[in-house]
Order: sequence, then structure tokens, then C-alpha cells
Amino acid sequence: MSDETNEILLFQVGARVFAAAVHDAVRIGSVRDVPAGTLVVDSALGTPFSRERGIVVGGHDAGAERTLVVDQVIGVRAFPGSDVQPLPAFAAACLTSGAVTGFVIVDEAPVLLVDLPTLVREHPGAAPGQRAA
Amino acid sequence: MGDPIAPALGEAAGHAAGGPEAWFFCLRVLGGRYAFEAPLVTEVVRLGPLTRLPAAPPFLPGVFTHRGEVLPVLDIGQLVGHSPVPIRASTRAALVHCGPWKVAVVSDSVEGLVAIPRRTLEPPPAESSGVAEFLSAVGRDRHGAIAILDLPRLVEMARARAVPPGSGHA
Repeated sequence: MSDETNEILLFQVGARVFAAAVHDAVRIGSVRDVPAGTLVVDSALGTPFSRERGIVVGGHDAGAERTLVVDQVIGVRAFPGSDVQPLPAFAAACLTSGAVTGFVIVDEAPVLLVDLPTLVREHPGAAPGQRAA
Repeated sequence: MGDPIAPALGEAAGHAAGGPEAWFFCLRVLGGRYAFEAPLVTEVVRLGPLTRLPAAPPFLPGVFTHRGEVLPVLDIGQLVGHSPVPIRASTRAALVHCGPWKVAVVSDSVEGLVAIPRRTLEPPPAESSGVAEFLSAVGRDRHGAIAILDLPRLVEMARARAVPPGSGHA
């Protein structure tokens, strides 16, 4: 058990809700003016219904920001450390994406905790010529 | 709430002390009766709502929480190329420990502990495809034949197939 509190960003891609550490998000906003080449539309989390909102994620390299397109940013909630759990070992060993790191227990249900920098790094983003709607 | 297996197993083992019977835990899945070494099973639980995992192989349909712990679900049917085990509110799973892995094996239904005289255990069929690949023996009790699974090997094979050695994460 941990007494620490985790600031978690909850967001939705398609019909599903995901969680991420707040400090992984640089900012949240419209994707209308974001260059298509820096958008991540299809990712391991699925494809959003719309292309209006995005979470800007800092890359591991300075200045390499990318924007994960999401349907909705639900908000930020604080969770005690006991509500944040790592992936079960067997699941971690079977996933082909390293972006899913664990779960946040939200209202007794596990919500996937995503490492945003890894997620956007795994998915290079929009194909050349693809434009934000 | 789960049904603890250990007390029942202890009772059964005591009954069989010195006897020639082997104890297995039996499930109905893939249209037949399958069993594995009883001490691998810690509990039988009713599945809660599944949370599906992105980038997961078909045999890992998701995870669920049980007493605050997140547990992965293993679908043997999907692993051996059969149709998936239907997951409903009434679906039960056996929580098993196989080496470092703790998984919930889903089934069509749970029979529970069965005792099979060791002398009646027969070698598995020589087939090397599908579920036959993971059989260690075939036994028989008063209800009929039971295929004995080498569950640790099956679980390890599942992990290896999901992420082949050296491939790392995508």
C-alpha cells in the first residue's frame, strides 16, 4: 500500500476510457491547427470517433511533441497509490504494446493506464498528406 | 466471492494419503472434460466485468478485478484455435499459479476436483496439433474420459506465442 496520491488524466478514445499520468500531458486542446504529421490518430487504444480534441505529449527528444487525438478529455482526478496497479505479469508478457503499463481502479473497475510518450512513439502518426478534420 | 480450493484439496489429499489416486481439477471447455494438477488451482471465481486490453492476443480476452487484484483471463479455446469460451455473468474461472504467472482460466463450467487412479492414466494421443499438443495424459472416472492438460507448459507456450523471443514490444 502506498500513501502517495497520483494525479491521473482520464480521457476517452472511441467508446473506451483510458488513464494517463497528468505530467505526461503537455497541454490539451483543439487539433484543428495541428500539423497532420504530428497527429497520432490510430494507436493501440483504437481510433477516435472524431478528430477535434488532442492531448499534446512531449517526446523523449526535446521538441518532438506529438498530439494524441481523443474524443473527450474527462478530467483530472487524484487517486491513492493503492488504486494504481501494474499490469499482471502474464498480461505484461503477452502484450505487443509497451504503452499499457497498468490500471487505475475507477469505481471498482480497472481503467487502463497508458504511458503517453511510449504510445505516441510506437505509432508514428498520420500518413503523409493526412489532414486533421 | 470465490470458492477456495485448498481446504477441499487438503481433505481430499488426506483421504487419498498413501493411495494410488491422483487429484486433478476438472473443467468443461472445448466441448469436453479437461483437467490439470489440482494444486495449481487456488480458487474458483465468478468473472466480473472484463476490461479488454489493447494489443493483446485473442487468448487473453481481458482482465478483471477480484478482491482488489487485477487478474488476466486465459481462454484456452482461443489459444488452441477453437472458438472462444462465451463469457457471461455466470462464467466461472479457475485461478491458477503456473510458475511466475497467475491467470484465471475460463471455462464453460467447472466440475471441480476429480480423483483418477494413477494406474489408469494413459499416454495422450500422438497428435501434435491443437489442444492435443498440451496433453500429458488421458484419464477416466465414473463420468467418462478426462484429458489431462500440462497447464504450466500451455501457459508458457501462450506467453511465447504472444511475444516471440527477441521481438520485444512493438
